[in-house]
Amino acid sequence: MKRRDFLRKSVGVTVASGTIMSLGGVTKAFAGTGKSNSSAYDMVAVKGGKPGEMFEKAIAELGGMSAFVKTGQTVVVKPNIGWDSPPERAANTNPELVGKIVEHCIAAGAKKVYVFDNTCDEWTRCYKNSGIESAVKTAGGVVVTGKDESMYREVQIPKGKILKSAKVHELILDSDVFINVPVLKNHGGATMSLTMKNLMGVVWDRGFWHQNDLHQCIADFATLRKPDLNIIDGFNVMKRNGPRGVSVDDVVNMKYQILSADMVASDTAAVKVFGIDVASVNHIGIAEQLGVGTTKLDELNIKRISI
Amino acid sequence: MIQKQFKKGRVILSLLFFVLIIVSFADIKGNIPAGYFKTVLYLQFIPSLLKLITPGTIISLGAIFVIILTFAGGRVYCSTICPLGVMQDIIIFVKRKISSKKRLKFKKALNLIRYPILVLGIVSLFFGGILFFNWLDPYANFGRIGAHIIQPVILGVNNLIAKILPSVGLMPLEARPFHFASFAFAAGVFLLVGIMSFFSGRLYCNTVCPVGTLLGLLSKVSLFKIRIDASSCTKCGKCQAACKANCINIKTLEVDETRCVSCFNCIPVCEDSSIKYKLSSKLKTQPAIAADNTDSKRRFLMVSAVGYLTAKSVSVFGAEEKNHVCFWRRGTVAPPGSLSIEHLKDRCVSCHLCISVCPTKVLQPSWLEYGVTGMLMPKMDFMHNFCNYECTKCGEVCPTGAIIHLPPEEKKLTQIGKVQFVQDDCIVETEGTSCGSCSEHCPTQAVKMVPYKNGLTIPETDTSICIGCGACEYACPVKDPHKAIFVASSLVHARAEKPKSEKIEYEETEEFPF
Repeated sequence: MKRRDFLRKSVGVTVASGTIMSLGGVTKAFAGTGKSNSSAYDMVAVKGGKPGEMFEKAIAELGGMSAFVKTGQTVVVKPNIGWDSPPERAANTNPELVGKIVEHCIAAGAKKVYVFDNTCDEWTRCYKNSGIESAVKTAGGVVVTGKDESMYREVQIPKGKILKSAKVHELILDSDVFINVPVLKNHGGATMSLTMKNLMGVVWDRGFWHQNDLHQCIADFATLRKPDLNIIDGFNVMKRNGPRGVSVDDVVNMKYQILSADMVASDTAAVKVFGIDVASVNHIGIAEQLGVGTTKLDELNIKRISI
Repeated sequence: MIQKQFKKGRVILSLLFFVLIIVSFADIKGNIPAGYFKTVLYLQFIPSLLKLITPGTIISLGAIFVIILTFAGGRVYCSTICPLGVMQDIIIFVKRKISSKKRLKFKKALNLIRYPILVLGIVSLFFGGILFFNWLDPYANFGRIGAHIIQPVILGVNNLIAKILPSVGLMPLEARPFHFASFAFAAGVFLLVGIMSFFSGRLYCNTVCPVGTLLGLLSKVSLFKIRIDASSCTKCGKCQAACKANCINIKTLEVDETRCVSCFNCIPVCEDSSIKYKLSSKLKTQPAIAADNTDSKRRFLMVSAVGYLTAKSVSVFGAEEKNHVCFWRRGTVAPPGSLSIEHLKDRCVSCHLCISVCPTKVLQPSWLEYGVTGMLMPKMDFMHNFCNYECTKCGEVCPTGAIIHLPPEEKKLTQIGKVQFVQDDCIVETEGTSCGSCSEHCPTQAVKMVPYKNGLTIPETDTSICIGCGACEYACPVKDPHKAIFVASSLVHARAEKPKSEKIEYEETEEFPF
């Protein structure tokens, strides 16, 4: 692919020319990152290894979890737990990864680490059979239901074009730190399910999104509260029949992980890993126009780790 | 003397059964293992009898055990195993604690009510399915009380604690939508049985309940019966005053064994030890006559009931091949494992245990959707939710064989209905925007998004792999009644084809693609 080659080359040039620090500063403002962290990188991408060790290598490059979580803070981790499906089917975020994130948040001094999703299948079965509930509990976190409407609050989305307001889970609105952990997968309606699509699981009424231009609504919502950190789980990747999948045959063990505060950049990188044209995922382009982040990966300072 | 302890033993055993059954309706979080329900409900008479004659289920001998038990010791079932009976005993116990009128009296049996009800019940089997048992089976009635009164109370308490005492760590859980007819039926029976037992002891069991009447007939020839020893009896009347079945006549020193529920309340109150549970003297002296009369009557009732149900089951299975018809625009969809709407209507007593354990609450009571003879039986409500692909819970708990327990792999291929797509109503067509909600939820990809104009994708359906779980219908954002995709009921359930799939080739590359 010519486009990919071009990007790869230009990234190589960027690294070689030693302009890492200056570009890093520019793109941080561009990405609108809420937190300041001590790392020089806008994105860390890992290839190879196991989900837990991939995360540990990557977070170290970003200055450790303490760069994001301060002592006494509350943290909400939002994985994809949408389906009553076992880990090997990769419909949900890898439980080992979620457990490891919770563990690091607690080690960084978090007061409480909450994990939830507004699931598609019945939530108690999703939490249990995804392996996420037990991983979170073992790591010292708390799982919370996403199916109690009284825990959702109506908020305005000033930058939204179509989605002007939404009922959002209180944990997203009230927690000090928000970590978004989608699983990289194919999606019948949204083309790809990534960081921005994963945020559909923090709102109450998803039907509205489907009724009123799904891609626009996904991008609109991404303007509300940007996660402090996005971690895309590309360890097992559902290549087709997403977001639910039919069998393990739909899954490829690609062993990728992408960490960034920029949702648009994260999704762009993930789509490239997946192997389709970024332009085919409409909400990524729309979100870039709304100023959520950048698709220009060659302008970012990316750390690539191979295990 | 050891017989004075019988009552204590009966009370302990009956409370144990009662609590075990309540627990099965109290399982709001779905933590109880599958085997529990059928073990606890194994001895429930009507469910077990229905299951006995259902092919394809594990042979159920609970009803036969109850019959043997009755031949041995009278209506032990009614005072120990039957949850509605134990519920009445609790009401009677409370009444006797609070009321000043403690002495109960002998009353005549209301044979003109109880025998016609039993005969009517059995005769109705030949004409209107099991509707009569659906309404009168004591287990089914207790089940509805469990599902529509006890479970909501437990759920309410759970949610209240979750709200006001978050430190306990309980999660608020979603309640099933209120179903007026079921609640009214459950509450009505609870009030009726409650009032009858409060004022007249086991009146319901001895006049209305067909199981009580049937087992009463069998009790005529039971080996052990309550008998009064005329030589030592002082006619103090304490036994009569303690008898909640009103079946001890102190004047004639007779005990009506058709109404005696073998509760043993009379034994410990007798200071002269004159009333005892002993080998029937009648049986010893003149067994032939005693057995003959009732035996033939009983045999007729039993044989006709079993014969009818067997004949019915054969006809259902015979029809499976040719009678495969779909209703247009939905129809009522029966749960997976119920084989066909006809099978469900032949076996289900509407105890609502399946409804009360259904994790997604897609399973809800019907009203008249299955017709009058299917009133209150479980139906799939895809407006409320959809059937969880991996779940086999309803079949795991069903005590009658109305919903057969399918292994997960079998359930995933059981077609209870077929998807119907109405493109003219689809968001992609009407609004020109992406959606994919239906396909997103489809576990077999019988609903698949395929390329459409302007880079959009639109659903395409393949009914050969559709199992009718209703996920597409539930997820479709178009407001009813114009859902663009829905499941049309299959009268007789069929077997879907397994979704085809091939491994994806993937070559790992050294370099990052960005």
